[in-house]
Amino acid sequence: MQSTADKGRPILEVNSLVEYFDVVERGILQKKKIGDVHAVDNVTFHISAGETLGLVGESGCGKTTTGKVILYLEKPTSGSILFEGMNVVETFENGNQTDRKQLRRRMQMVFQNPYNSLDPRMTVYDIISEAFVIHRNIPKNQWTDRVYELLRMVNLEEYHAERYPHEFSGGQRQRIAIARALAVDPKFVILDEPVSSLDVSIRAQILNLLIDLQRNKHLSYLYISHDLSSVRQISQRVAVMYLGEIVELARADEIFDKPLHPYTQALISAVPVPDVDHKTTRIILPGEVPSPINPPQACRFHPRCPHATDICKQIAPKFEDKLIEGHFVACHHADKFV
Amino acid sequence: MTDYLTPSTRDSVNEWDHRLSEKLLEISNLRTYFFTEAGVVKALDGMSLEVNRGQAVGLVGESGSGKSVTAQSVLRIVPRPGRIVAGSVKFEGEDLLSKSDDDMRKLRGPKMAIVFQDPTTSLNPVFTVERQLTDILMLHRDLTKEAASKRALSLLERVGIQEPEKRLKAYPHELSGGMKQRIAIARALSCEPMLLFADEPTTNLDVTIQAQVLELLKQLQRELNMTMVMITHDMGIIADMTERVTVLYAGKVMEVADTPTLFHSPKHPYTEALLKAVPSVKQTRALEVIPGNIPNLIEPPSGCVFNPRCKYAKDVCMKQEPLLEKVEEGHYVACHFWRELKLEGRAG
Amino acid sequence: MFSETVDAAHNDLYVGLAATLITTLIGVAVGALAGYFKGVVSDVLLGLIQMFFVIPVLLLILLFARVFSVLVFHGLGLTLIVLILAFFGWSGIAFIVRGETFRLKEMEFVQAARSLGAGSYRLLFRHIVPNILSPVIVVATLNIAGFILTEVVVSFLGFGDPNTSTWGLLLNEGFPYVRTSWWVSLFPGLAVVFCVLGFNLMGDGLSDALNPRLRE
Repeated sequence: MQSTADKGRPILEVNSLVEYFDVVERGILQKKKIGDVHAVDNVTFHISAGETLGLVGESGCGKTTTGKVILYLEKPTSGSILFEGMNVVETFENGNQTDRKQLRRRMQMVFQNPYNSLDPRMTVYDIISEAFVIHRNIPKNQWTDRVYELLRMVNLEEYHAERYPHEFSGGQRQRIAIARALAVDPKFVILDEPVSSLDVSIRAQILNLLIDLQRNKHLSYLYISHDLSSVRQISQRVAVMYLGEIVELARADEIFDKPLHPYTQALISAVPVPDVDHKTTRIILPGEVPSPINPPQACRFHPRCPHATDICKQIAPKFEDKLIEGHFVACHHADKFV
Repeated sequence: MTDYLTPSTRDSVNEWDHRLSEKLLEISNLRTYFFTEAGVVKALDGMSLEVNRGQAVGLVGESGSGKSVTAQSVLRIVPRPGRIVAGSVKFEGEDLLSKSDDDMRKLRGPKMAIVFQDPTTSLNPVFTVERQLTDILMLHRDLTKEAASKRALSLLERVGIQEPEKRLKAYPHELSGGMKQRIAIARALSCEPMLLFADEPTTNLDVTIQAQVLELLKQLQRELNMTMVMITHDMGIIADMTERVTVLYAGKVMEVADTPTLFHSPKHPYTEALLKAVPSVKQTRALEVIPGNIPNLIEPPSGCVFNPRCKYAKDVCMKQEPLLEKVEEGHYVACHFWRELKLEGRAG
Repeated sequence: MFSETVDAAHNDLYVGLAATLITTLIGVAVGALAGYFKGVVSDVLLGLIQMFFVIPVLLLILLFARVFSVLVFHGLGLTLIVLILAFFGWSGIAFIVRGETFRLKEMEFVQAARSLGAGSYRLLFRHIVPNILSPVIVVATLNIAGFILTEVVVSFLGFGDPNTSTWGLLLNEGFPYVRTSWWVSLFPGLAVVFCVLGFNLMGDGLSDALNPRLRE
């Protein structure tokens, strides 16, 4: 089944995505479900071809789970995911193997921890060529050439192919992970905190590499991170998540320079800026991030929000772009900040 | 108790009070090596540092720079197979390296303390919060259990923990990361040390919690007139929290200066490169890449340890190690060409 | 005496190696499946492992040896021991394998292979099992030694095959004469000790040899 990505149609459409995990109590013979972890709660966004959407939030906000669900590494509780027009969930649950394999080739992921994301018992050659073994889309005599080509693409050398992951530094391992993701020639790559475990001087290398690759291969990225500074570098649009929900989504400069949601404002003001002359008006949020097992009622941010009023505790705010077109926010009082 | 909803403004350097401008800590040419099976890892190879009383000083570097090992060396808690092989460390004028283990133990807690990066591993998982604190208080301050418990309670309040009575009886695994780190800070401050090392205290925490903890540290440093050494790789934290900063690379000092000077007019290529490679949440700009990797500390490059990655490197850089030279009062740099190079800092 | 000991060796080794081979295969298979799949399958397998874990294997062997004494006299005594050990002794390995599989299943390199389109078979046998080899090998070599010791105990107690020469049997025969002809017990005793020690060390070495991290 050939999918058609129309001009103007987004390459990825996520609609009302919900992912709840069961919380169970184990007895001797039975398990009893006592609650839900609201990992992802009604998340909607889309990504256009060639675009990078940044997905930011703190731990427990659901951003990594969202990424995994999009790739069907976890089964969503409800909602739809359309990739190039194809229904992802349907294809994996009821579709045929050809379609499934095609999705796996077009959508890829680079994982967070470069020390765990490469099989320690496989050589770099095996790791990168695994894609060819699984998909058999390239004749065997071309594998070596293709592996070398991919290594060069990520600025590694051909002789690296015979080595094992533990012989490489964090930054180099992440390059290998990127080469592996590119081996299937995807159109969309989810980057889950790709530079968070790397040193500062290496981060810039990897970020620049990702930006170059995007340009050369017309890739779309979902860039998941808690590091707002790097998100700004690479994303055209940014979505901010809190406790499983997207609270704000807009173009990157709008989000960073004129955030409309109080959580976004606090988040951005909390990041230390490497500039001595910058005077931070740091908004300090009280308390901790609540547990996603029992999220607060109505607006989930209201217990910590400096601007919360009664309505925030009773009615969940709608996620809409009424105030500025293309700038979505879920807050009753967003008009105050325009 | 602190009112958290008040926005706080970052103080400018001049408003911070220097008490007696007396050198509290003086490290001179410190060498700490790790004798491993693979070879001798020169974690610190000639490191010098001076900290005055009441100052907030930053130690910035990436992995392998030796910043954590510095704190460990001062406190003499360098893990095996590491050993301090040369140099001197003077605290309040006294040489720490010649002290016995017993004497050092008397200093750790009342005179100097450290907050580690990961509160999950730095707090004992089988002790209650109360016990983590009272143990030290009873040991160093000779308090009775009741008195120590009372003090523990007030310490928790001081570090901004809500419902402190409940938290006293809790175990570390029941608490969030931010709270654990506050308790680690409370523990470090329990005996009111003069010198506090904060080794990447917020790296494992969420952004908003990081802001809380950094504010707390700033506040405490001011209230207690404590001398603080902030160890981090984050230039943003350096800009925000410190008045003087030392840049470390592969166990050696590259540059030392007042924080504003370092940001506005760096004199070392590594400092310049670091400032250019760091993205900022305030603006989108092209990141300049530092090519290459952190060097192998068993066989570091000869000459200037940064030369393989330095875009200004010349022949002499590979042959001769540059010594720390004075640029002006308070500003030192280890580079052969600092006079000739026109380096870019970050404009305001 | 020495030559008798050497002669008996092949029987002991037979018990140790055969039993270990079978138990390892069963243990890895059951453990991997128990750790990889979720839900009913996993729970049932776990229960199975736990059940088999608590069964006292030695007692069973002694019991069966008596009950099936007819087999024993026909020279199948050792095979009987091997079979019982194999049937009941795999749970230790299964436990470890299950735990490791659990852990590895969530590791990012397994997730990465899944996202590339790898199926369960490939994930289990190309990625997970090779990475659990290290602890399994160590336990397996300890098992060889352990099973040999079990045989020694069984034969020493007199439940073994009196016609097949094993170290346990030799010890059994030498026992009444320990005070006078102590060397009769010495050789087989030493043989057992060195054998057990040797296998333990081999396990250590194998584990290191298979670890790609230590390859220079």
